[in-house]
Amino acid sequence: MTSFVERPRSACALSGALSTFSALPGVIPIVHAAMGCGGNLSGANSFGAGYWGAGYCGGGSVPTSAITETEIVFGGDERLREEIESTIELMDGALYVVATGCMTEMIGDDTKGVAADFAREGRPVIAVSTPSFKGDSYAGYEIALNGIFNEYLGGAAKKGKDPRLVNIFGVVPAYDPFFRGDLEEIARLAKGLGLEANTFFTPDQTFENVERAPSASLNIVFSRAWGTSFAKQFEDAHGTPYWVTDLPVGPEASDEFLFGLADRTGISQRKARALVKRENDVYYGYFERTADVFCDSDFKFYAVTVTNANYAIPVARYAHRELGWVLLDSFVTDQLSEPQKDALSGAWSRTGLPSGLSYEADTSLIARAITQRHPENRGQRYFDSPTPLFILGSSLEKATALKRGANQLSISFPAFNRMIVDRGYAGYRGGLHLFEDIVGSLVFPKG
Amino acid sequence: MSYYEQAVPPVRDQRLKIGDSFAGSACELLDCAKAGCMLRGNRMFWQTGACQMGLTLMMAATVEGAAIVMHGPIGCGTQLHALSVQTNKGKARRGKVPSPPAWLSTNLQESEVIGGGEQKLRETILYADREFRPQIIFVVATCAPNIIGDDVEEIVAQVGKSTAAHVVSLHCPGFKSRVVASAYDAFYHGLLRHLPLEPEPWRDFVPLDGNSPQAGMERKKYEFQKSRTVNLWNATSIGANDEDELVRLLGALGLKVRVFAEYANADELRLVSQAALNVSMCNVHDDYMLSFLKEKFGTPYIVAGMPLGFADTRRWLCAIAAHFGLEREAGRLADAEEASARAAIEPFLPKIRGKRALLCGGVVRVGSEALMLEELGMNVLGLRAYHYDDGAEPIFEQLAGALPDIRVAVSNQLFELCNQVKKLKPDLVISHMGTQGTLAKLGVPSVQLFDADKSFFGYSGLFSLLRRIAFAFENTSYQERLAAHVKFPYRDSWYEKDAFYYIKNQER
Repeated sequence: MTSFVERPRSACALSGALSTFSALPGVIPIVHAAMGCGGNLSGANSFGAGYWGAGYCGGGSVPTSAITETEIVFGGDERLREEIESTIELMDGALYVVATGCMTEMIGDDTKGVAADFAREGRPVIAVSTPSFKGDSYAGYEIALNGIFNEYLGGAAKKGKDPRLVNIFGVVPAYDPFFRGDLEEIARLAKGLGLEANTFFTPDQTFENVERAPSASLNIVFSRAWGTSFAKQFEDAHGTPYWVTDLPVGPEASDEFLFGLADRTGISQRKARALVKRENDVYYGYFERTADVFCDSDFKFYAVTVTNANYAIPVARYAHRELGWVLLDSFVTDQLSEPQKDALSGAWSRTGLPSGLSYEADTSLIARAITQRHPENRGQRYFDSPTPLFILGSSLEKATALKRGANQLSISFPAFNRMIVDRGYAGYRGGLHLFEDIVGSLVFPKG
Repeated sequence: MSYYEQAVPPVRDQRLKIGDSFAGSACELLDCAKAGCMLRGNRMFWQTGACQMGLTLMMAATVEGAAIVMHGPIGCGTQLHALSVQTNKGKARRGKVPSPPAWLSTNLQESEVIGGGEQKLRETILYADREFRPQIIFVVATCAPNIIGDDVEEIVAQVGKSTAAHVVSLHCPGFKSRVVASAYDAFYHGLLRHLPLEPEPWRDFVPLDGNSPQAGMERKKYEFQKSRTVNLWNATSIGANDEDELVRLLGALGLKVRVFAEYANADELRLVSQAALNVSMCNVHDDYMLSFLKEKFGTPYIVAGMPLGFADTRRWLCAIAAHFGLEREAGRLADAEEASARAAIEPFLPKIRGKRALLCGGVVRVGSEALMLEELGMNVLGLRAYHYDDGAEPIFEQLAGALPDIRVAVSNQLFELCNQVKKLKPDLVISHMGTQGTLAKLGVPSVQLFDADKSFFGYSGLFSLLRRIAFAFENTSYQERLAAHVKFPYRDSWYEKDAFYYIKNQER
């Protein structure tokens, strides 16, 4: 039996699916659940991800079967059929995806059957099964991707591969609050190598990018925990191999990423070296000037990171390698299975980070672990306390940081004390942004 | 059996004549409500909204010293992250420590959906009690445990015996009603069944010593104070500024005011029974609780609309004053307040005169504000009430009298709002939280219908609201620029149809 969770940082599968659809151009979600599910969930993830917002068809615009007790007793298939019919009449979408809530799964509605009836008439309707009790938001992201890329596009006629086209997966809309900025930077770097990247979730993309996805020659999955099984199924359906790696944050990780990407796409290392040089010149052109304030102000910190699985390695590595901070602990707040933990922990040790990785979801237990492992001075004359301390976490860590006089920056979901628009921490540009935000938070009280 | 004796509260659909799908005039709405056609209203197309669980959480999250156990799958309650941000502000504003409520999810998995989640609920409550030492543990029963038949009430009763905290169940499964207003009843039902609402001897007061020579005096003192004490019932849509304004006005009549139930703690809630009168601030919020308190403690109550605008504020004040024989004082107070407020709003009136406004949100508030804004010279094009129930009847009687042909819709649906705005082209929309972004994308300036950080009630609220309306008209470039670049998901053909085309089961 899984345990209860305190202040979970991830919601249900339906929530992850909704944030995914909300960021996918041309996709209209239809929630087959009670009236409040869609509103509550998209409200939560559109605010919690640095005020990401509702967008084209998120939030209160999302169609829903809005089932009530009548449907719980007599079944909701007919109500769903009516809702899909009305949605197609009323809303302009390239693909309509029905996503289920727990109650319609529990009463055994034939959601896939209803969607299939529409599909048989040549209307672009599919259904994905996203009940809360089957997984959390991250699982919902994978279920949503599977539905669209493997099931919906799986039936399409096979096309040839475009050796210059790659797809980016693993970065989860909203639950990776910087997903747009991160994806754009990865696409920029890929372009530098002469590649085109389908990011799917950035405003420059259209549904055509989704349709072209099967012809990509590589899927990059920026997650040790999420998306691998989806990528495997994608490979089965479309024959595209996948590469699981960490989101590169900062120049060192980005150098490695670019060499790795060139290697996997048949691009010469010479070309990669030239790009890496160019990018480092720019990065350090900016970065070297920051050394004055960084060093004069003594901005060297002990660091604790509290993030989802996707950001754990990238952020810890950045703090350790680029800032020279002393890593104390890294907490991963996702609910992971043992194989997922093994994959992430394996990658962690291969990265050579000096501190340990802990799996803990509960905010108060994370705070307690930090206190117990790194006690503060309690009146001793001489005491080697881990100060100054910087917590890179979510806005839930604000209270934890405040209590022990640590600094804090919200870089993980939920992030309520900052606005996130096109900012990302991936790549070279992202490394500069993360630096800017960390040091920005330190100099903010000045003046 | 009375509702109050039942383990699980009724939803408003069972308790009242209620509806969420209607379009017509104010008169037609009253006819429809009386004839029962309101109940049958439905739509062929729905967009997501809130549920009674969402609103129940908004209230529960404010309670000081409370922990919340979400009994359900992991998604239910995720909005508590955002709610905590708001309630922290609300606590600070009321002089309380701004600490977010600890909350947990029982995180029901497939195995529990099949085998039942009672054991997990028991463990979670005990953990919350041990770990956070709250005064109150709210156990929120969501859809899933209701469908699988978990006996939440039995668990709460059993576990509650061994916890330091009061364990309070809140039954609010979303599927039971599309109307979120049931949440008020769900929240109050939990409080009235599981919390002590009377002061405890020694803890809250020193019992009278009958032999003491002071006893008579002490009793008189207690009785006098109670006879001048009023409980004011707030709700999520009513902020601290509004509470302050009403406390100020009632204070001017010599009344002592306590505010319940949001932002109160268990110690304060024990004083609920120590008042001469319970006063509502909205017809559809708290009649369930107030009639319970009358039944249980004999405390009379007054539900007299919302104190919005000159007329309704005066009516509200006078209704309370009449209970204490203070009609003349209240009349004089209102005269004096109105005189100074009228002078203060004078400069804004030319700026709003003749402006065409659409109002949407809570059923009582839109009705009351429509009357107020019409009186001040605005042209109210129509109302969109998020739901309708019997409680709102007095307001709509008033409306039907004053503005018989005003367009009234019972709708919380964005697609209908978009259609109406495109057709009516209002100068301003005064609208419910959560719709302002959509309105800006439609190119229309808007003002919040309610906002816990701002003022609406009484005289300072009227002044503040008019300032904000006038402010909204100053420079609408943001909305115009945005609207020129944003695409909505609706097909062009939608705007050729009637805004209420998808409403069914209504003769029109």
